[in-house]
Amino acid sequence: MTRAPVPVIAVLDDIAVEQAKTGDLEALERVYRSYEGLVYTMARRICRTEEDAEDVLQETFLEVCRSIRGFRGSGPGSLTAWLKRIAASKALMRVRREKYRDADELPEDGAAIGVPAADVGLQLDLETALMRLPETSRAVVWLHDVEGYTHEDIAEMMGKTVSFSKSQLARAHMRLRGWLGGGHDDA
Amino acid sequence: MCDGEGTAWARAHVDDCHFCQEERDLLYQRVAALRTLPAHRPPRDRWTVIRAQAVRDRRGRTLRRIGYGALALAAGIALLIGVRAVDLPGGQPSAADAQLTQLMTRSQELEATLLSYGTDGRVLTGRAAGIIADLEDRIALVDAGINQVSAGGGPPDQLIGLWQDRVDLMDALVSAHVTRAAYVGF
Repeated sequence: MTRAPVPVIAVLDDIAVEQAKTGDLEALERVYRSYEGLVYTMARRICRTEEDAEDVLQETFLEVCRSIRGFRGSGPGSLTAWLKRIAASKALMRVRREKYRDADELPEDGAAIGVPAADVGLQLDLETALMRLPETSRAVVWLHDVEGYTHEDIAEMMGKTVSFSKSQLARAHMRLRGWLGGGHDDA
Repeated sequence: MCDGEGTAWARAHVDDCHFCQEERDLLYQRVAALRTLPAHRPPRDRWTVIRAQAVRDRRGRTLRRIGYGALALAAGIALLIGVRAVDLPGGQPSAADAQLTQLMTRSQELEATLLSYGTDGRVLTGRAAGIIADLEDRIALVDAGINQVSAGGGPPDQLIGLWQDRVDLMDALVSAHVTRAAYVGF
């Protein structure tokens, strides 16, 4: 996997967006090229595997090809927000679908709050610690702290309550705090 | 509290509590560090797959539109011919109406051929996809013309001309699919 230092969004002008809205495949490819990194990064942070993230990338852009005619925004700014919303929904849908694969979600009753006994004394880097979180908690952390969605947005996308989103975030941060200790020098 | 939702008591407490201030600062640092994590790039190019699927979806939608349009047209024309036949002495359809019925039947036969051929899921070259998309668009335009002329009670000759266009285009569409299949067959 090749990594770039920051998500790269190539410059996409208004004309390209308007052309894409007509269904022009070349313009749609320009949209794809501009946003594949951003969408894949979000998917990779939320989903468990590379394969899942690739599937989310594909599903997101298929949805874009199908729905861009109805996209009411203008310009790349609103296109970014629209695309991220689709990608987040697809990634969360996949998380829900794959949930049977593990005992996900940090329990809400507080019984297992904090770092599990096996993790005591373990110092992880931020990326490893993030991937160690259950998928739902990781999704909430990423969507809230990095993508800037509100708890209301997240609750709506997940089909859960606002308090669920808040408690997942709080507990995820308690775990991260325990795993990471006092600093994030390696981030 | 970080979302600005903390109570006045909690905020006052954090202002006075060294431990809580440290925890809050650590949280801010952690969030800032999360935002600087490196971006990922997809390991494989997915555009080819997405493009092929988008073209298939579009073709499927157009074919469905053509199919539904044809059903509506057929019903409308059948009604028109029926009314005209009743108006004529002896209830016999005119030559124009007979020609119209013949064209309509031919168009339906071609649609049935296309459906039975099963166009979904077959691989198209870029050129073939372009030709087929163009033919489908032209059929949709002719359908719109037929609807307009039928609704406005236009002259039979014009209607026959449009139906002839539809049959020719449907014929070309079937040929495009069959030619492509023969090519793939080699």
